[in-house]
Parts: sequence; structure tokens; C-alpha cells
Amino acid sequence: MNQKEKPQQKKDVIIVGTGIAGSLIAKLLTDHVFDTEKGKMIHRSEMNDSKTYKELSILMYEAGLEAGIELDSATSMTTYNDYIRKFYMEEAKVPNSPYPNLKQAPSPNVLDMEPIIPPFPDKKGYLVQFGPMPFASDAIRVGGGTTLHWLGTTPRMLPNDFRLKEKYGRAMDWPIDYETLKPYYEMAEFEIGVSGNVSAQEYPIQENMEEYYGKDYVFPMDEIPQSYMDQQIINGLAGTSVQLNFKNIPLTMVPSPQGRNSTPNIAYGKAKLIKANSSESGYKLSLNNIENEDYKALGAVWNPYMGERCEGNASCVPICPVQAKYNALKTLKKALYKVNKNENLQRNPHIQIQAQSVVYRLSVDQANQEKISKVHIRRYTSREKTDFVEEEIDTTNSVVILAANAFENPKILLNSKYTVIENGQKVEKTVANRSDQVGRNLMDHMVMLTWGLFPEPVYSYRGPGSTTNISSFRDGDFRSEFSAWISPLDNWGWSWPAFSPGSDLSEFLGQGLFGEELKEALTYRLSRQVLFHFEIEQLPNPNNRVTINDQYLDALGIPRPVINYELNEYEMRAMEQAKLASDQMFARLNIEDFTKYNATDNNTFVYNNVRYSYNGAGHIVGTHRMGDTPDDSVTNSYCKSWDHPNLYIVGAGNMTTLGTSNPTLTLSAFTIRSVESILKDLETILK
Amino acid sequence: MIIQKIFNVDDYYYDVFMAISESLTGFSVNELQSTGLAETYYTHILHQIESVTFTEFLNISKDILENSTTQNQLNNAISSDILANPATQDIANSIITLWYLGTWEGAYINDLSYKEGLVWNLMQAHPPGAKQPGFKSWGVKPVNSNS
Ligand SMILES: Cc1cc2nc3c(=O)[nH]c(=O)nc-3n(C[C@H](O)[C@H](O)[C@H](O)COP(=O)(O)OP(=O)(O)OC[C@H]3O[C@@H](n4cnc5c(N)ncnc54)[C@H](O)[C@@H]3O)c2cc1C
Ligand code: SF4
Repeated sequence: MNQKEKPQQKKDVIIVGTGIAGSLIAKLLTDHVFDTEKGKMIHRSEMNDSKTYKELSILMYEAGLEAGIELDSATSMTTYNDYIRKFYMEEAKVPNSPYPNLKQAPSPNVLDMEPIIPPFPDKKGYLVQFGPMPFASDAIRVGGGTTLHWLGTTPRMLPNDFRLKEKYGRAMDWPIDYETLKPYYEMAEFEIGVSGNVSAQEYPIQENMEEYYGKDYVFPMDEIPQSYMDQQIINGLAGTSVQLNFKNIPLTMVPSPQGRNSTPNIAYGKAKLIKANSSESGYKLSLNNIENEDYKALGAVWNPYMGERCEGNASCVPICPVQAKYNALKTLKKALYKVNKNENLQRNPHIQIQAQSVVYRLSVDQANQEKISKVHIRRYTSREKTDFVEEEIDTTNSVVILAANAFENPKILLNSKYTVIENGQKVEKTVANRSDQVGRNLMDHMVMLTWGLFPEPVYSYRGPGSTTNISSFRDGDFRSEFSAWISPLDNWGWSWPAFSPGSDLSEFLGQGLFGEELKEALTYRLSRQVLFHFEIEQLPNPNNRVTINDQYLDALGIPRPVINYELNEYEMRAMEQAKLASDQMFARLNIEDFTKYNATDNNTFVYNNVRYSYNGAGHIVGTHRMGDTPDDSVTNSYCKSWDHPNLYIVGAGNMTTLGTSNPTLTLSAFTIRSVESILKDLETILK
Repeated sequence: MIIQKIFNVDDYYYDVFMAISESLTGFSVNELQSTGLAETYYTHILHQIESVTFTEFLNISKDILENSTTQNQLNNAISSDILANPATQDIANSIITLWYLGTWEGAYINDLSYKEGLVWNLMQAHPPGAKQPGFKSWGVKPVNSNS
């Protein structure tokens, strides 16, 4: 039997999801309190004894298991070690492999993906895929969200990525530009703890690096060393260029900025805090030095002395055994634990996380239909059982923040219907969907892989997943004709496209090899494997979308995301051009090409009589985009819903276009910026 | 060839298993032993395939080991007497896979078997997520590479 619980006590803020988007907001909000005398939100560091303050009461809902968000040292270590042991034992070491696979809060999984034969959808797993192409990326529903298994690459977007329409007549411009986002990029780089070398960055943009990063800007930590393999490839390609159909493009190989610990950069100096300053017009966040404290790398959640530096475990996707790679649990812990007057960490009693709680619907106030009045939750009781308790929380005087990722946010919104009377007629509406863009414009980087054997051993399979990228194709006039792309070099041999080393072993066993001969063949093959990646920008297409359908429900009776997805000529042409670039680079490096695309691949197409196949990048974006007007976007540039003043929708779904950057740094930057608007709303509520 | 007596284990077939594993994998008995998994693998196989089948495989192995005086002879015998017959070929390939990857029919025996897969030694690397070599190690040639 499913019981109904009595409604929860009111909170100031409700956050749905503990991924990086939700955790950043929780952390920044709990760093601020309401000064009742001034009637303003102020940073904790500015509190003094004589005044009275009100603490914000915050409740976070998390679909994953209770164990995943228990962040005291002992429990978090136990839970995380369970993840690692599971990872060791799983045969298919895909991104989701270390984490609990829950029937009550299922996650999209690449193992469920199969080719689609329209009109029949692929219903295996969590997503219902109508195609014609399967959407090829996954996410994970556990405490901390998808950054647990992300790779950790953190380039910023380029100025032109924000104005594709203005510059190249394509897609739609963002409501903010690069300049506006720049200070928030710095805050995001601080929060994630980015390692990198600003002066080694090189992009095909008009701005010089001083304009792009700001004078004297440095990343918090020194560059992560590029792999031995990268250096061999760089040696062979430096100073050369690639001829595309219409243009010659010089090759630039750049060490990737990354969210993993190296050595704190002395020039970065002091530890920082992100603080809101109030003014007439509202709040402005800024990054400030803490004078008596040096910047330190943030180690594992359970032990700050573990993972202070990347140790080369080479398993960043799906799990970093020492948490040298950033994950959102680190930020979440900072939301839950605050330093008290005696400089001890203390559990903050005003924030609460309720796990095993799947949010599935919002409802609006009958009297004021602009207001989100309730959040509806199904809380399952144990990992084994699918019965649940039906719960709701009153939010008429709260700010509601959806941070459940770019599949889940639109899914929850589309499941939230309400009726209004317009001109005497009953009209059914969907929350936040005046523009009809909720769930639309689903995008990903289409990852075309090419792989081959280097003439000498390069000793791949060592180091973080990727330490170098080719940035030459990230911007240029060609974007009016076909997509831009970024090309990471991959340090893990052919494991992704060919399931090496297992596949090499079975191939050689099939040839009857054993003993010394087998050893030699494997040594030759495995120490020379190189993999090139082409992450191709996808444009927003209103028909690429997440919808829901009451025929497809999960174990708790909640609609599953139903996906329609395809790519268009703009993107196919980019893949053709990228393959052209790959062929030339392989030829120059004397790489023996082993790339094979098959008609049986999950995502494959023929363009100009040539077959191409691609994978997903895990970059699920666009499904609740931000914009300048309520007609063509779901939120404003502060991630605030146009339709409901107490609703924010945050995460990669806000991205208007994708560009060629991995999305998380950018989503972190604009999510941090959204806190300015949230603080202002809270000020009004608390006054 | 000599079937070494393995210290502490009183099972002649175990010695044969190790000796034939050496020739199948190209790794010395010593290297195989140092995975810490030799006995585990042996007992695992005993539980996985019918004991008569396994014993027959080991008897064939014993014969060819005893009758070969050079490595060349032994290799030829492995090709003709073990790998030319689908039944024994399957077992031989499974044994090689077990040592190289730590899996039997696609499943790891335990978390140690994942970490001790010998394939990682061949490529001068290490299993992802385990036996980490340390900061910056990936920026230089592996220290133990002879090339
Ligand atoms: C394999 C892989 C590699 C990647 N590598 C990179 C990279 O190198 N660089 C980069 O920038 N990005 C990378 N990404 C993308 C990155 O992981 C995401 O952009 C980012 O984690 C999204 O953060 P989020 O907070 O919006 O969502 P998530 O991290 O997905 O968090 C959502 C949270 O909400 C919870 N939740 C979901 N549904 C509900 C519900 N109904 N009710 C309550 N709670 C719910 C989830 O459990 C989770 O805690 C990668 C992704 C993948 C899959
Ligand atoms: S290489 Fe290893 S230690 Fe470094 S971030 Fe990746 S998994 Fe963590």
C-alpha cells in the first residue's frame, strides 16, 4: 500500500537534486544569512555578535539512496568504497558501472541503448527512445549526481559560442555574453579546483588570451602533465595544418584545463570565498581572498589528505578511487558543514537532505497561478521494495529550484499540468512552458572516434582520461556551414571503441597465438594504441526532445523520459570534415588506421556515400533553455522561469547552444550567477 | 620439461596446471604465483568445469610437458595436441584469459583478479582504478620499459 504522509513544514528553499547544479546553490545559499536589522542577505563572514540573523531553511530532495548522501567521514568512505569494489567486479566498465542501479530511480545507461527500427521505440532501460537515432549519453541518479562519473575536462566556452546567430546566422544567441559570464567562470574554476596553464591555452578567436582570461589570471592549480602519448602526437603535428574542403586550418594542441587536483598554483595565492554584495539593484557575487589562508586542494570527502593530487589511477570515468577528481559531493559537504567560531566544522542544522525521494510533479496555486505551491514526491522506503510514501511540501512562500538534470527537469515540468480560465474557457497548461520549449532542443556532442596504431610505443592506458585537446576547429567562418568541434586525445587506448584490451586478447587467441608469441603480439598492439576524439557541436533542434507519455511509466508510476533524436546535415557535414582532418593527421603521424564504422553500430549514418558512426559525450543539454524573451525560452539568464517567479530551473538544460566545451564549467558559472537573483527573491520573502 | 613441485600444495595436478599455464601465457610460474591468485584460479576452474574434463586436459598437458625436451617441442605439442582440438582449445584459451584479464566466462573471480590481470604488465600500464603509479608518471616513458 502506498501511504500518504502529512505535509512537511515550510522551508525557504527547496532544491531538487544534489548534482553540481543543486549543490552549488545549496553551498552558496547556506554561506549567506538574512540580517534582520538591515533587511539584507549577508555573507557569514560578515556576521557579528550584536545583531540578529535568520538562517535560511533549505530542504534538498535526492532520488538516490540515503547512503550516498551521508557525508560524515566514516559513512561516506564506506559507501564510496562499495562503489569502487563494484567497479572492480563489473565486466562492462561503463560510466554507471560502479553505482547502484535502482529500480525506483533508474538511470539512463549506455548499455541499454540499441539501434532503433522506426516506428518501434527502444524501451529497454529507463529512456524510451523513439529515434530515429538513439540518444547516446547517460547520467546517474545518486547523491552528488553525474560528476561522480564525469571525466573532469573543464574548458570555458568561446565568445562566439554565445552569439552563433549574430556571427554565423545559426541557431539562437544566448541572453548573456562571454564578458558577463567571465567572473562566474572564475568562481566556478575556484569551486571545482581547476588545474591548468592559462598561458598555454590557444584558441582560434579574435580576442587575445589576456582579454579572454583577464590580465594575470591563473587557474587555482598547476597544469596536469600531458601524457607521454600526447607528447609524441604533439611532436609529430606541431606547426602543421589540416586542409578541409575549403580552408587550411593550423593545428594547435592545448593542455586541457581539468577538474582534478595537481599542485596549488603559488600565483593563485590565497583561499577564496564567494560573497554576495547588495546594492540598489540587487546582489552581486564576487570572489574574495581569505587573507590568512593559502589555497589548498580539496581531497576526498572523508579524508582531506587523500586525493590531494591526481595519482594516475586512470579510471576518472567512471570513478576516481581517491577523489582527486572533483565531484559534487565536495561542494555538497560544504553546504552541510560550516566552520563555527572556534574554527571547527559543524553540521549546519538548517539544511536537510531527504534521500530516496523522487520528485515527479509541481503544482500551482489555485488563487495565484504564477506561484508554484507544491512539490510532489514519492519516497521509497528501501532499496528492495517499490512501495512508496506519497509526500508533498507547501512552497507558496518558498523558492523552488529544479536541479535534477536535463532529462529530469523537463520530465518533471511536463508532468505538471494545471488548468486556467481564459476568456471563460478552461485551458490546460504546463508549468513553465509558455514558450513550448520545455523538453525541446535536446543536444549532445556527437563523439566520432578514430583509432589506430602509432609507429612506436606510446604507452597509452596511463594517466587521466585525456590531458590534451586540439582546439583548432572550435571556431571559424565554417560555422555558417557546419558544426565546430573540439578534438581531445584520449589516454585509454582503444578501450572505448574496441573494448580493448579484452578484444585484442580474443582476436589473438582466435589466431591460435599463445605463450611468447601472444605476449609479443599484445605488447605490440597495446602499447601503440591511439584514439582521437571529435566532439561535434549539435545545434538546437525543436524536434530533438524529451516528452512524456502515460504509456511509459517507471516502477513508482512516474513517467519515463521519452526521447526523439536525430542529427541534421549541418552536423553530418562536420563529421565528414572531421574525418578528413583525422585522415590527414593519421597520415602525417604514420598511424595505421584501424577505424571501422559498421551498419550495426547504434548510431550510424551514410553521408555522401561514406559511413560514419558516433557515440554520446554525456553532455545532455538544452531542454529548458535560457533566452531574452518568454516566447522562445523557458528561463531568463538567471535560470528563473519566465512563468513562475518562485521557480528556478538550473543545469545544462539552460544552455541555449552547446559550443565545443564540455558543459559543466559553463553550467556551474551561470548556476552560480543565478544565486544573485535567488538571494533577491529570498530577501523579499524573509522581510 | 620439468613440472616444478609447488611449495606447500600437495596436488600433482596443480603443479601441472601451473606448468602448462606458464607455456600458455608466456609468463613464468614465478610471475604467475606472484599474482597471489594461482590457487584461487585452480580451484575456481575445478568448480567451473566437470572434473573429468579438467583432469583430462591436465593429463594431456602432463603428457606433452613430460615428453618435450625443448620449448620448441613443447610449443608444437601444445599447438597439435591442445589447440587443434576444440574442447581442449577452449579450456586453454579460458586459462590464458583468466591469467591475462582475471575473468572466467566474462566474470571476474574477485576484485584481486581484476587488479592482477597480466595484460596490464605487458603494456607497462596498470588496471584502471588500481595500482596507481603516482603523480606525473604518465608524462614520461614507463620506468620499466626496455625500448
Ligand atoms: C561519462 C560522462 C563524462 C562526462 N565528462 C564531462 C567532462 O569531462 N566535462 C564536463 O564538463 N562534463 C562532463 N560530463 C557532463 C556532466 O557530468 C554533467 O554536465 C553534470 O554532471 C550535470 O550536472 P547536474 O547537476 O545538472 O545534473 P546531475 O549531476 O545529473 O544531477 C542531478 C541530480 O538530481 C537527482 N535527481 C534526478 N532526478 C530526480 C528526481 N526526479 N527527484 C529528485 N532528485 C532527482 C540525481 O540523483 C542527481 O543527484 C560527463 C557526463 C558523462 C555521462
Ligand atoms: S587519473 Fe586517477 S587519481 Fe587522477 S583523477 Fe583520474 S582517477 Fe583520479
